[in-house]
Amino acid sequence: MGVYAITGASSGIGAKTKELLLQKGHEVINIDLKGGDICVNLATPEGRQTAVDKLHELHPEGLDGMICNAGVSGACGNLELIISLNYFGTVAIAKGVYDLLQKKHGSCVVTVSNTISQGAGRKDIVDLLNNIGDEKRVLSLVSSMDSTNLSVGNSLYVSTKYALARWVRRVSATWAANGVRINAVAPGNVHTAMTATMSTTAKMALNALPIPTKYGQECLMAPEEIAEVMVFLASDSARGVNGNIMFVDGGTDALLNSEKVY
Amino acid sequence: MRPIEKYVEAMENKDFAGLAELFTPDGILCDYCTTSASQQEYHIYGKEAINMFFRNKFGFRRYSILDAEVVNDEQAEFIANFGGYNIMAIATVRETDENGLIQRLTVRPK
Repeated sequence: MGVYAITGASSGIGAKTKELLLQKGHEVINIDLKGGDICVNLATPEGRQTAVDKLHELHPEGLDGMICNAGVSGACGNLELIISLNYFGTVAIAKGVYDLLQKKHGSCVVTVSNTISQGAGRKDIVDLLNNIGDEKRVLSLVSSMDSTNLSVGNSLYVSTKYALARWVRRVSATWAANGVRINAVAPGNVHTAMTATMSTTAKMALNALPIPTKYGQECLMAPEEIAEVMVFLASDSARGVNGNIMFVDGGTDALLNSEKVY
Repeated sequence: MRPIEKYVEAMENKDFAGLAELFTPDGILCDYCTTSASQQEYHIYGKEAINMFFRNKFGFRRYSILDAEVVNDEQAEFIANFGGYNIMAIATVRETDENGLIQRLTVRPK
C-alpha cells in the first residue's frame, strides 16, 4: 500500500479524501493547521518548510501521492491569507516534495475551483502569481484592497485558483517526463459546515450557480463526490492522465461554457 | 400571446423558470451576440439547462434586455446587456412544436 500526504484533511473534502485513502489501506499524513499529523501554518514560508522537512524525515524513501487541498474561500475576510495559503502554500508544498514523488513515480493532485472558468478572477493578479511569484510583492499589493468587500475576496480567490490551475498545466509535462503526474480537480460548490449555516442571501447566490446533477434539489455537491475523483487521480488507474484540470461540479462548467471544449 | 412575446416578457422579468417553460424539453437557445462582448456564444440545449443558465446569468446580473420591441410573429429587437456591454440584438423564434413551445430560438446582433 502507498504513502500519501494531504494538506487540509482535518475537515471537508480533505477529510473525506483521507478517509477514502485509509479505506484502501494506504498510509495518510494530514498536514493542517489544527488536527493534523503535521500541524503547521501553510500560509507562512516557515510552516511550509517545516512540513516539507517533516515529510522527508518521515518518508525518505518517497511518497506515492501528494494531495494539495488546503485553502480558504474568498469570504474568509483575510485577503493575504487567500494569497499565501491558496497559491504559495500549495505550490511550495508540491515543489517541496517533488523529489519524494519522483522516488516512487507518485502523483500530485491540486484542488482548484470550477469558478476559474467564470471570469471573476483578476488576470493581473494571476500573472503576478504565475510569472513573478514574489509573495511579498503580491501581499503588499493586496494589503491596500478592501477586505470587507466580498467581491474583492472572491476575485482574489478565483485568481489564486486560476493561477494554480495554470501552474499545474505549465509544470505537468516536465514533471511527467520525470515520472510524476500532476493534475487538478475543480470542484463546484460543496456542502460544508460553513455552507450549512450561511445566510439565506448567500444560499441564493450559491444556488444561482447551478449544479445540473442536482437539478431541482437546491443542494450542493457532497465532499465525497470530489474526494472520489481526487483519489482516482492520485491512483495508478489515472496513469494516463496528466496536466488535466478536471471539473467535478456536476456539469456547471459545461452548462455555462459549453463552447469551451479545450 | 405569441411565443416571441412570452420570450420577451420572461426576459424582461428575469423569469428564468418561465423562460424555460416556453421551450420543448429539448429546445435550443443560441445567442450569437456574445462574441461582440468578448464572451463565448451561448448554445443552451434543453429546458432545464435554459432554466439553470439564465438563473445564473440573471442572478449575477450578467444578462438583461432593454427596450424590447416585438417586430413580427417571430422576431423581437432589444438591447442585450452582457454584464454592462450593450449590443443591439434581434431574437428569432425559428421553430415551434404543435403546442407552441419553442424548439429553437436564436439571438443575433442586428
